[in-house]
Amino acid sequence: MVDAAWAPGSLFDNIDKFANSLGYQNAGIVMELSMMSWKSTDDRDAFITSVTGQDPQGGTEKNYIKRNY
Amino acid sequence: MAENRGGMRPTAPQNNPANVSGTGGAGQSGNYTGFAYGQNQTVNNQRIEGNQAMASAQAATPSAPASPYEGINMPQLGTLFDPTTRPDEPITAGVDFGPGPGSEALSKNLMNNTRIDENAKIAQQYLPDLAYAAKSPDAPDSFKRFVNYLVENAQVMNPNG
Repeated sequence: MVDAAWAPGSLFDNIDKFANSLGYQNAGIVMELSMMSWKSTDDRDAFITSVTGQDPQGGTEKNYIKRNY
Repeated sequence: MAENRGGMRPTAPQNNPANVSGTGGAGQSGNYTGFAYGQNQTVNNQRIEGNQAMASAQAATPSAPASPYEGINMPQLGTLFDPTTRPDEPITAGVDFGPGPGSEALSKNLMNNTRIDENAKIAQQYLPDLAYAAKSPDAPDSFKRFVNYLVENAQVMNPNG
């Protein structure tokens, strides 16, 4: 069963896409944009594409967690 | 014959409530008294001249221009959703991603890099929730890398953990 927290357009999904598209060093912008209410993931991805000139990054790998938190 | 020696006379000027002097008291001349001999007249003349000068002074007539920036040619401010007024400049000009010049194009007073502190604050504020989300089996590696980055930033700010 898929974790609802990771559904497309969820907060964590947004963080993943913005962080990997805009750069980790822009964490402040990443968090602000991730908390915005996007109409759809298409709108969000179109925004990322218009800003970066590239397709949204992140969200494709689902492997093990590499670090103990 | 009854002798009239004065006493309380209701019609006397000092008993007229409408007769008020600016220097206090009722029905008084307003002249100062009590100074050394010869100075009373000087002081009172100065007072009269001062009053005349003040009476002749006129308050400045309000003459503020209708627009405080009249004569200054400023472009009209638009809204966030108006079309750009600089169509030749990419929206990402001045930031280090996307098309256009990077942050090196900014003036020096805008080059102060506060992102390290900002990232450390974000790490402190959101890291517990982000780390919890990173433990999910559905969390992508790209997200975990971002969380790792914030963990390192938090450690830079607080080396003791």
